Amino acid sequence: MKATPYNLFMSALYGGRKGIRPPAGNPTSIACVELMKACGAFFPEAHLNPRAMADLALAGHELAGFDTVMPEYSVHQESAALGCEMDWGNETRMPDAKTAPHADFSDVIVPENILEKPSFRVVLDALSMLRREVGGQAAIIGKVMGPWTLSYHMAGTQNFLLQLGLGEKDKINRMLRQLMPVTIAFANAQFRAGADAVVLADHATGNLVGPYHYRDYLLPIHQEITARVGGPMILHICGNCLDRLEFFAESGVDAYHFEWQVDARTAVEKIGKRISLIGNLNNAKTLYQGTPEDVYKQARYSIEAGVDIIGPECAVPLTTPLANLRAIPAAVREGY
Amino acid sequence: MNESIQKIKEGVIEGRHKEIESLVREICKTGISPDKVIQEGLIAAMNVVGQKFSDGEIFVPEMMVSAMTMKLGLNIVKPLMTGKAGAPKGTVLMGTVKGDLHDIGKNIVVMMLEGAGFQVIDLGVDIDVEKVVAAVAEVRPQVLGLSALLTTTMPEMKRVIEELRARGLRDRVKVMVGGAPVDAAFAEKIGADGYGSDAVQAVALVRSFVGH
Repeated sequence: MKATPYNLFMSALYGGRKGIRPPAGNPTSIACVELMKACGAFFPEAHLNPRAMADLALAGHELAGFDTVMPEYSVHQESAALGCEMDWGNETRMPDAKTAPHADFSDVIVPENILEKPSFRVVLDALSMLRREVGGQAAIIGKVMGPWTLSYHMAGTQNFLLQLGLGEKDKINRMLRQLMPVTIAFANAQFRAGADAVVLADHATGNLVGPYHYRDYLLPIHQEITARVGGPMILHICGNCLDRLEFFAESGVDAYHFEWQVDARTAVEKIGKRISLIGNLNNAKTLYQGTPEDVYKQARYSIEAGVDIIGPECAVPLTTPLANLRAIPAAVREGY
Repeated sequence: MNESIQKIKEGVIEGRHKEIESLVREICKTGISPDKVIQEGLIAAMNVVGQKFSDGEIFVPEMMVSAMTMKLGLNIVKPLMTGKAGAPKGTVLMGTVKGDLHDIGKNIVVMMLEGAGFQVIDLGVDIDVEKVVAAVAEVRPQVLGLSALLTTTMPEMKRVIEELRARGLRDRVKVMVGGAPVDAAFAEKIGADGYGSDAVQAVALVRSFVGH
């Protein structure tokens, strides 16, 4: 196997042949202010304009040295298309939805033309640009929100969790089922637009909800999503998910993107070769507040533990130093 | 323990929100002291709930329902309290710092503190330094609790502490910080008095600050 960024990433994603080094990947955003300045593509434009979106993703590969390009920086592309009023933020503030249009758990009617909504179109167009510009060279990663995350946006997070606690199973399941087609349609559209893999971000977060919530509500839905989506999927769920890794391995995804709270060695031991593991550098302490040396050490720990693809644990803080991000590719380039 | 109080305690732990009001009403009719209902029933239940949360036995949805159940019970019994027993154990000012809209963790801490008998004034989310400091000057709480979920908003906690110091208010209030990116080392670095990794620790911290 030629040791190109694309080959190394895709092989590691499938648990295939190892090249001369592990890949550095970012299933979630590595956009930071320094990277924006370096490439001239800034938030909020990079959420709204496909050229700016693609340029910022390219900067992650060309200027920061990652083996992937991932052009979706917010978690609100879908909720914007589904009627949430948006604040698209600025260079140092991520977008946020200002309204929860289905706080009463009323039926979510998915627009027939949802793929043509501006917040979907921008991602699809950016992916197509990236395919034309670095296809086969860098691995192109798309991203969709799963129905659990979308339910937070539609009903309000606290409200959704309260209904969950109250045991309103029908309400919860109805909303999840109504939102699932959005996730499937967007993921398949992203593959058609040029993505090599798509992240399924669905925040049944460790410490927030239990493994039994994931097993009872979300596992069957994730199995259906992965069965109905054409290409490889990477599951992203934040928090300490050691208690539910087994379920993730049954969900039909090809990899799980995990956080630092789960020790890399423990995760590798628990998951084995059933799915690949991506992560798990600490954002708050190491990437944001640490030094390139701290990042390098943690990346090497993950490599030695057997993590397949090395990267930050989640979307990095926007004021993360670029030098710290560059320390990840520097660590993987030393090989296994 | 009195069987009825035990029922109240179990009702809160299990989140039986539909039954709690009538359970509390019934027991209050028997002449039992309202303070006992609160201490041995409602608050004792929330201590168990908090421990179960810390141990990973239950999660936020169950905790929210228990807290809601506790509050329903508290609303029935509180008006019956008289004299010293009815007085709050202390006042806590809570808020999520500027730039941060996340409030679930903070809300749980608020509910747990109320359950533990403290008066809590919740400033809400995205609260700028000026507003926090003005509220400290006006309310004179014993404790100020600052919450942040985003790594990028952590520095706001430091700014609040610096501003309290600049206005000569720092020595009048204990400051505790919490939230996903925060830890004890950060709390110490910015000059906070304490850090709570979850709602149970936050309540323990407040108790230690005010001597209850």
